[in-house]
Amino acid sequence: MYTLSIAFKNLRKNFSFYALYILSVSLVITVYFAFTSFSMNNVMLEKISGDGRVESMCRVISVFLIAFVIFYMSYSNRFFLRRRTKELGIYALLGYRKGSILSLLISENVIIGIGSLIIGLVLGAIMHKGIVYGTTILLDLSIDNSQISFFNLSAIANTIVFIFGVIFVMALSNARFLFKTSLMDLVRFEKSAERKMKFRKISAILGFILIIVGYVLALDIFRGADSLWFSVGFYPTGLMTAMSIVIGTVLFIASFLPFAVEKSKQRKKTFYTEIRIVTAPNFIYRIRSNAKTLIMLTLLSAATLTVSSVMALSLFYPIAAVARIAPSELEFRIENERQADDVKLLINQYAPEDLVTFIQTDIFKVSASAERLPIEYSFGTSKGDADNEKILREEGFECISYSQYTALLQAQDRNDIVQKLSELQDDECILVKYQPNSDGSDETGCIYSLNINNNSIPFTVRETTLNNPISFANSIGTIIVSDNVYERIKAGTATKVSILSINGEAIEDNENLFEEMKSLLGNSPYLLGHSHRVNEIMAANSSTFLLIAFLVVLFFIATGSILYFNNISAVSDSKADYEILSKMGYTNRKLKRIIKKQILTFFSIPFLFGLADCIFATIVYKTGLMQNLLGNTITLYFPTMIAVALTASIYFIYYFITVHTCCKTVIKH
Amino acid sequence: MNTLLEAKEVTKIYGRSGHPSLNKVSFRVTEGEFIGIMGASGSGKTTLLNVLSTIDTPTSGSIRINNVNLKSLNHTSAADFRKDNLGFIFQEYFLLDSLTIRENISVPLTLQKLPPQKIESMVRSLAERFGIASQLNKYPHELSGGQRQRASAARAIVKKPSILFADEPTGALDSSSATELLNTLYEANKELHTTILMVTHDAYAASFANRILIFKDGCIIKELMNQGSSRRAFYESIAAEVTKLDTAR
Repeated sequence: MYTLSIAFKNLRKNFSFYALYILSVSLVITVYFAFTSFSMNNVMLEKISGDGRVESMCRVISVFLIAFVIFYMSYSNRFFLRRRTKELGIYALLGYRKGSILSLLISENVIIGIGSLIIGLVLGAIMHKGIVYGTTILLDLSIDNSQISFFNLSAIANTIVFIFGVIFVMALSNARFLFKTSLMDLVRFEKSAERKMKFRKISAILGFILIIVGYVLALDIFRGADSLWFSVGFYPTGLMTAMSIVIGTVLFIASFLPFAVEKSKQRKKTFYTEIRIVTAPNFIYRIRSNAKTLIMLTLLSAATLTVSSVMALSLFYPIAAVARIAPSELEFRIENERQADDVKLLINQYAPEDLVTFIQTDIFKVSASAERLPIEYSFGTSKGDADNEKILREEGFECISYSQYTALLQAQDRNDIVQKLSELQDDECILVKYQPNSDGSDETGCIYSLNINNNSIPFTVRETTLNNPISFANSIGTIIVSDNVYERIKAGTATKVSILSINGEAIEDNENLFEEMKSLLGNSPYLLGHSHRVNEIMAANSSTFLLIAFLVVLFFIATGSILYFNNISAVSDSKADYEILSKMGYTNRKLKRIIKKQILTFFSIPFLFGLADCIFATIVYKTGLMQNLLGNTITLYFPTMIAVALTASIYFIYYFITVHTCCKTVIKH
Repeated sequence: MNTLLEAKEVTKIYGRSGHPSLNKVSFRVTEGEFIGIMGASGSGKTTLLNVLSTIDTPTSGSIRINNVNLKSLNHTSAADFRKDNLGFIFQEYFLLDSLTIRENISVPLTLQKLPPQKIESMVRSLAERFGIASQLNKYPHELSGGQRQRASAARAIVKKPSILFADEPTGALDSSSATELLNTLYEANKELHTTILMVTHDAYAASFANRILIFKDGCIIKELMNQGSSRRAFYESIAAEVTKLDTAR
């Protein structure tokens, strides 16, 4: 029991030192427990996953999660052991057996483990409830919250067994360390990292070149079909790019950065200044012992940022694309006369008539000839083009009038687009593109001869647009012609299809209405609902998103804490240096600037590299693997920007806390 | 000769114990002097050094260095005062581990914002005088204790401080390194006219000074002057005084 009381005293005396450790372990347990509760929450899983997809995803993520928790806990265990080696050596000098010292360490770990477990379980349970609540609202699920217990007993058992398993493994590794290290080494362990830095010019340059090569390879995808990504293949090129960047990052951090800083010392004007003369050599000195940690953090942060950015993009993209796939709140093809009236009657039950707009559009199919017709002309005419092979279309342009076009856009609340339009001449048309041509070309200025009432009449494409007023299910190869021309076509014998577009805030996001319409129209494949589509996508993807979010959050806790501990230990190890600087006449403000600069460097390396890797990976993903329905609009990158901004603010918070703690440790007032 | 440092009735009491570490200590140091402060552990030597060097403030009494009353300094102006006027040498060298010897000696000069060419030439000439010119590109841990202490002395002297405080500078050195360092300090005092205040409990080290103040229980109990006698003779008189003190305990 004696060791236990020493362990308790030790923790109490060094509370501020251990507080963040306990806090970070608690947070890691919080995430782990919340995740475990979630994956064992059958009530929830039944609702969001019918086919076991979420369950199998949970299993994959739990492997990562377990690996992460083990990695983080063993990292911090080693870190704290290293910091206390001298103290343990003194215990040994006083006559403690190594066995007793080990039991002291184990007791401390157990105390910390129990403390963190209690905090983690409570916070985890709250977090789990929050997630259930959030998902319920987001997906509009009907869940009886009383059926979900606050503490899931099997999740608790799972978490406890896991955490104590990790503590047991840590005890084994501590035992190995203690029994392998001689007393002499224990006492003088701290200053053992003093070997001279070798500056390897070749690997420094190689690191720099590999990074550039990696990024250039990534940008090569913009060359489209000529690029290596298409000529050699997407996956071999992807692998090559990733390897080049990973190896480049390792060499860049381990060799290039110290090399560059050493070289920069030769610029005497900048080097011989009160701050740089301390920070530049210090950086080289620290990189020497911390390169591995820094490389690992950099790669981890690159991976996380990339995963979260790509995830955000792949969730956001389909939702943004709904604006093109289902531009009206409700839209269907009128297949017999009664349908339109029936639907109007139905809708009147949900919303007063004056709050809803009904626009019927008659689309006329017109054949055309030209040297090269756009891909949309014959799109969806053969099997394999369309998702639904039952609804093959006949080739041809599908004509609507200018005034119908603007009326539809207005009904869809897209007035900004209408304002940019100007009246069409009789020999002009607007071509609605399915997606921008992959080679970057554009049909503007092309002349197509339309076959109108057996006369071949040339039309010039005044502009192309991605703002289709009618869904692709009902019209592809749409062109907009002037009202005069439209009347002429109407008078002829062209095939006609009638579409009814229904818009209005009063009927938005109403699944019941959609279901009733669906049965009214006999499950027509030509019925589309904007809100319905968004809801479908949300339901399908949000669980994936949620699960990935667990990993990302856990990563941030781990990276931030590792950076924190690493900086604190570096700064407190050189406490004497700051004292002597202060005696030489450095003011506290200057010391603070030195500390800030040192910490900033260590925080910005993983962040900036992660950011660059994430940007390039997102570009490759977006250009190479995603449909391009929306063209290259900036809005598409909003989720990526949000992911980056969130990461930046989390880094900033950790940076701020680290600076604060370091300054408190070193600077006396 | 001008008075460089004047301490008047300086008293320092730590905590509420009431027992003073310094008890109304008064003395003067004139420019170009090499003063030794001696005394047993706990006699107040280190406290004196701390209050003289603006690192600590006395409970009462006044200290003037270069006609500046230390009491009038706030935190920032005290740092500036140290930058411009004071140099330090410590028993544990306190070189910055991550900086080369050249960079270590350059730090005080960069703090004074001197141009790089001037810094480099000053560092080089002082390193030659101190016999460490060939070590300038090495790191502290690559040097012997004696070399490190000379580097640390060079760092203290390079900015030509009004007064150099040396706290047991030979405490961690073997006898030949200690002699070398003391000779270096002696020469700096004679040739560069650096005023030195050295705390030591070693009579041999003290014999390099030209005046000794012996402390006991926070008071100066004896003052010894080297009035032109040889160092050997001065050493013997110091040793005799220290022995007398020890037997009186």
